Amino acid sequence: MTHTIRMHVNGKDYTLDMPAQRLLIDCLRYDLGLTGTKEGCSVGVCGACTVLMDGALVSSCLTLAVLADGKQITTVEGLAHNGTLHPVQQAFIDFGGFQCGICTPGMVVAAKALLDENPNPSDDEIKDWMMGNLCRCTGYYKILESIRGAATRLQTERV
Amino acid sequence: MTYNAIGKPIGRVEGPAKVTGAATYSADIRLPNMAWGKALRSPLPHARIVRIDTGAAERLPGVLAVLTAKDLPDLLIGRRVYDMPVLAKDRVRFIGEKVAIVAAEDPDTAEEAMSHIEVDYEELPAVFDAQQAMQADAPLLHPQYRYYPHAPAKYFSDLPNVHSHVTWQLGDVAQGFGAAAHIFEHSFTTHYVHQGYIEPHASVVAIESDGRAHVWLSNKMPFRTKELLADAVQIPLEQIFVHLIPIGGDFGGKGSLMDSPLCYHLARRLGRPVKMVMTYTEELMAGNPRHPTTIALRTGVTRQGIIVAREAKVIFNSGAYAAFKPTPVVNITGASQAAGAYGIPNICIEAYSVYTNCIPAGHMRAPGDPQVTFAVESAMDMMAEALGLDALEFRRRNLLKDGDRLPSGHPVEHVKVRETLDAAVHAAGWGQPKPRPTIGRGLAVSHRHIGIGDANAQLSVEGDGTVTLVTAAPDTGTGSHTVLRQIVAETLALPIQQVQVQVATTDVFEADSGAGGSRVTHVAGQATYQAAQELKAHILEVAAQLLHCQPRELTLQDGRCAVAANRDRSLLLAEVAQAALVHERPLVVRKTYRVAEYPHITGFTAQAVALEVDAETGQMTLLDVVTAHDVGTIINPLGHQGQIEGGLVQGVGFGMIEEMRTEDGRISTLSLGDYKLPNIKDIPPLKTVLVQEELGPVPFQGKSIGESSVTPITAAIANALYDAVGVRICDLPITAEKVYQALQAQQQANENPPEHHRREP
Repeated sequence: MTHTIRMHVNGKDYTLDMPAQRLLIDCLRYDLGLTGTKEGCSVGVCGACTVLMDGALVSSCLTLAVLADGKQITTVEGLAHNGTLHPVQQAFIDFGGFQCGICTPGMVVAAKALLDENPNPSDDEIKDWMMGNLCRCTGYYKILESIRGAATRLQTERV
Repeated sequence: MTYNAIGKPIGRVEGPAKVTGAATYSADIRLPNMAWGKALRSPLPHARIVRIDTGAAERLPGVLAVLTAKDLPDLLIGRRVYDMPVLAKDRVRFIGEKVAIVAAEDPDTAEEAMSHIEVDYEELPAVFDAQQAMQADAPLLHPQYRYYPHAPAKYFSDLPNVHSHVTWQLGDVAQGFGAAAHIFEHSFTTHYVHQGYIEPHASVVAIESDGRAHVWLSNKMPFRTKELLADAVQIPLEQIFVHLIPIGGDFGGKGSLMDSPLCYHLARRLGRPVKMVMTYTEELMAGNPRHPTTIALRTGVTRQGIIVAREAKVIFNSGAYAAFKPTPVVNITGASQAAGAYGIPNICIEAYSVYTNCIPAGHMRAPGDPQVTFAVESAMDMMAEALGLDALEFRRRNLLKDGDRLPSGHPVEHVKVRETLDAAVHAAGWGQPKPRPTIGRGLAVSHRHIGIGDANAQLSVEGDGTVTLVTAAPDTGTGSHTVLRQIVAETLALPIQQVQVQVATTDVFEADSGAGGSRVTHVAGQATYQAAQELKAHILEVAAQLLHCQPRELTLQDGRCAVAANRDRSLLLAEVAQAALVHERPLVVRKTYRVAEYPHITGFTAQAVALEVDAETGQMTLLDVVTAHDVGTIINPLGHQGQIEGGLVQGVGFGMIEEMRTEDGRISTLSLGDYKLPNIKDIPPLKTVLVQEELGPVPFQGKSIGESSVTPITAAIANALYDAVGVRICDLPITAEKVYQALQAQQQANENPPEHHRREP
């Protein structure tokens, strides 16, 4: 069975005929060509496929694409504006918050959502929020530093 | 020394691509008209294939082809010894072995087709335990092993299923034990863990009309892959073109062909590009995890607490195939770490790699070192206690010294183990009163070589004055391209932005060892450094002609060649490059660097742990971890520290969090929900101490770091646990359940103490 859905992805509108069982991650990666969103575990544990749906974090590997009908989706490709990196993205570069980069799209999307909700998180709050995103390279120390660094920069920008 | 680019925490050259999602990994490759492949895997650990019926699967709409072994060349593949079929021919040897392959228009159809393939099996007796597999009555998994291509004759064994038996020997062990006042015996076991990269293996093959095959895969040894693939699919080497693209984590697991031969066969059959992406379940069922190990140590110690003799027997459960072991010995050379960081004059280490009906194991970060060091460093504490010696003092009496030889016979020089150990215990407050009596402290030490192999670099000056580095060193996430960029910028005294990095394909150079074995910053670094030096000489020569002076009168700084005595006489690098081009002497340099023998300088790591145990649950909390390393010049502190931190957390995972549980050859932890990787809440407070001296074979006097921090931590945890609650765990992983059970047993023993076993509270 196929449904016609309207999605707003990274500010663009799409009208798509979507098989009922198609996953959001496959829709993003293969129907829209947004391969920045990665598939790791396929069971909603690793967080590599994390995207924002109406501002909330979802695992796109567990979400049916039809559920995105009428929703705003933000993927990693939607964070930078006019070639300028989002402060979270820049902080991940400056503080060494990634190595291989495969978890990074999910990480920066999740970190951005955290700072949208809590601009000045404590380390424990960062850890509570980010525990759904696995990274095998960094040991997480530099991810913590990156998010702290991004928070500081965002606050400075606001002042 | 003060440097311009070296030692700076410069962000990664590929950083913007990775944080925006623009970086393209193997699974992201999309080609016009691409089909999808999926493998059907064996549900049985050992069986004869009686019949395969693919008819129903072939008739499924959207299915393009179904292949079995009869459709493929009759051959075996592997990284060194060729012992593994591309698809099982008449026999399966582990649960997860590939039996048939489907190509379909989309992955869902390929998946569905799996359930329409009928395979009749006749079960055969299976063996899962390596020691049982070595017994005379064990089923023989590879009766023809000795005739397999590249089987290592020097390491054959008469024991059943042993495919490699390696011995390292120094001195006279019998004499050594004769001089010992105490002889200790200890045994340990370690478990399966997965490398845990978040990118499952993906392969894409597209064949051009002239037969040339383009290959994209999650692989850190593209040149070796080209050779192996040429053998696997029986085409000439020149017809294979491997694209170097980002790799989503490696840690030793991304060195094999994985599904690429199957993609090739399907692509050839269909005349369309074919992609295969493993699921994480397939990774956990049939990846190439770290070897489970049984380690027996027999150690002779003098009255003075000097270790004078050791025998070590290390048995690796190799699984059903040895195909994932790249070393010439087709074994795990980390077994040679059974001497630890100590100078043991009389030692005999025997490593047995044994076929069983389990998942074939492969390489993982410092292959063998974490397993064997867990045993060696646990035994150090056990012996110290029995000898009535302090664990630190016992170590100090036995540490390696300049001129000592490792069990391989390899001498070590500029040994910094004492300083490294001292730095760790100092930072950990070793010997200071504990804030609470329930806190336990533990210590462990290890060493790791600086890697060797081949690498290349091509450098050119462009017409706009930028310098382009072409490298075929894959970046598995270690930041190698950024490090190489810094080496160029430093050598040519250029701003970092003026150095571009271009990643080669396998067409650009002849050979390259790829990433792994603590190699890249050393060998690719040297190739790049030497190319940069030669390029600099070339630049100055051309500039000297243009400025009518001698090259030695010139300086090169910030993209400008100037006469030192009269800086008004100068040329921009862009002008020199343009002039060189006009004179048909383009500023291009190529360099190959090759080193076959390990440097005598090695790198030491000492780690100290403080932990506390919840006696009611056995749950351990790491309160403090110190990791101390002896290092040379650090090229990029951000990347260097990232290697230390990432390795350390992998070590914690190996020690107390991760376990691929098996039952009769069946892995039961088949998702990342069941196989727990450390997450951000699992990381301990960490203090890093660097004992630095500008010394080492890496350009600008550096050392390797990538495989160092993963190793000693597990024994340090085991030793701290014992210090805290008197529980000694010799079988990894050290889980809360195990600690709880040991505490219960301890309590029962204390309530009903046999006279001679009473432990003081």
